[in-house]
Amino acid sequence: MIQTIVQKLTGRGSTLRAAEHRFIIIALVPTIIFYAIVKFYPIFFSFFISLHEWSLFGNVSPFVGLDNYALLAKDSLFPKVMWNTMYRTFAGTFLGALFALIVALILNPIKRGSILLRLIYFLPVMTSVIASATIWKWMLQTRFGLLNQLLLMLGIAPVPWLQSTTWAMPSVIAMGIWAGLGFTVIIYLAGLRGIPRDYYESAEIDGANSLQLALKITLPLLKPVVSFVLITGVIGGFSGGFQAIYMMTGGGPLDSTRVLALHIYDYAFERLFMGQAASMSFVLFAIVLVLTLVQFKLQRVDWEL
Amino acid sequence: MANQDFVGVPSQVDTQALRRGATEIRRLSRGTLFNYIILGAGAILMVVPFIWMVSTSFKPQAETVSFPPRLFPINPTISNYIDVFDRANMGRLYWNTTFVSVIKTIFNIYTSALLGYIFGKFIFRGRDIIFYILLSTWIIPFEVYLIPLYLMTVQVGWANTYTALIVPEIFTVYAMFMFRQFMYTIPTELVDAARIDGAGEWYIFHRIIIPLSKAALFTLIAFYFMWNWNDFLWPLVVIADQDKYVITVGLATFVGEYWSQHGVIMAGASLAIIPILVLFIAVQRFIIEGVVLTGLKG
Repeated sequence: MIQTIVQKLTGRGSTLRAAEHRFIIIALVPTIIFYAIVKFYPIFFSFFISLHEWSLFGNVSPFVGLDNYALLAKDSLFPKVMWNTMYRTFAGTFLGALFALIVALILNPIKRGSILLRLIYFLPVMTSVIASATIWKWMLQTRFGLLNQLLLMLGIAPVPWLQSTTWAMPSVIAMGIWAGLGFTVIIYLAGLRGIPRDYYESAEIDGANSLQLALKITLPLLKPVVSFVLITGVIGGFSGGFQAIYMMTGGGPLDSTRVLALHIYDYAFERLFMGQAASMSFVLFAIVLVLTLVQFKLQRVDWEL
Repeated sequence: MANQDFVGVPSQVDTQALRRGATEIRRLSRGTLFNYIILGAGAILMVVPFIWMVSTSFKPQAETVSFPPRLFPINPTISNYIDVFDRANMGRLYWNTTFVSVIKTIFNIYTSALLGYIFGKFIFRGRDIIFYILLSTWIIPFEVYLIPLYLMTVQVGWANTYTALIVPEIFTVYAMFMFRQFMYTIPTELVDAARIDGAGEWYIFHRIIIPLSKAALFTLIAFYFMWNWNDFLWPLVVIADQDKYVITVGLATFVGEYWSQHGVIMAGASLAIIPILVLFIAVQRFIIEGVVLTGLKG
């Protein structure tokens, strides 16, 4: 009792500070050890692996220096993988951001039913990509798939969506847009909420129509959110796509949907060229790092959310 | 509307609010029908895959390949579902996935809340440096970790165990970051007052901070449970034993084996999706508001 009064009078007593310190140390020390082992050491280990001809079953893993990286430059498949990765990343991100923007803009003013609509658009976000990719694979099946059957009813010849080098990638991209749209819509809706109503009111009093409102007020004020969506989309895109492509095409036909994430998995765990795969993961790391630094530069103000 | 409570707009009636309401009604009557048509068409595109999945899952094989496509089966059957339970060992997959997801989620949320509290409410030397070093791992793609973590797992003898699924992902940067942001909404005076009353640090964290963080807590629990449930690449690499498969890996394997039996495959997909969708619909208001609350500040 007396102690409490003394502490009340003196504010934070020295005993309290000691207790706080103990608390912080007990929480932080295991955390730091964990991160050191599971998050930082593996990066160096991975780089070490990438300097070796590392196979899971080989007893010897000879040091080969930067040969794995040099091989990537010489390899004819790797440029194709990079091209596929960029194709999927940019097409998926920009189209997805565009569709989500349209949905958000017309969903925002709606009152009645907006919760149900948001729920519907969000459903694919919650669904395991493995399951949704399975459904899409079935719907895009050449002979019995829903899409081709509907096209047939309109008199259009079946398209071998996932068996064609032209259509496989667009199909995978479409599935990815469908799967991620709801999340982007929610981000845009959050951005739209941040725009003060007064802006619209004053513009309306001045006689602006809805198109003018959208072009002159909404879009300029939403620009930071749009660029956030685009940049994080591109960053995520480079390492993404594994699950959908693994399920829908396995990277085929003729490697036309083979993206970096799938390629790394395939080399490491199917072909067991772990050194080569590690070098590819470092290329991915470098790309993501550069893009992230660009993002920080562009969004320095918004970064501390 | 909910978002106004969220933003904290004062609720008393004033002339400005009335004017705002009038503007709103005018705006609504103008373009709303058009909005509903576009959104409705989009919503149909969003749900068609789910509807077709359910439809196919109740069809006998012959009907899955008949032309023209029919939404409702002529002879609906549940034999596809029975087949999945038998052949894919669905009960086992559910149990494994629930077990791993629940444990991972508990660890993720507890450690993140604790670290978020420490980085958000304490002042100590090196705090920001430590925080940003931990945070920096956020940007590293999992593919970079895939090979070294796998080899480390094999080395310590955890290959093919749940320990390997859970331990490397106990701590998570995203939730830690979100909790730290959330801590700024909790007044520091409250913590100080509890200290003056003689409460211990752990007591404060468990009895004051955690209950006050409910909004962030529930949202993050829902998201992490979903992410953990849907996780695929790491379990695919680490778990070799079919009895230990989680649902995503089990489904992928099952699809590979029985691809030509469309009804059965779609029944499997439904069973993988349903638990999460039910959970999600039950807490959806929380989640969608929560994305806004924790994810982004407009």
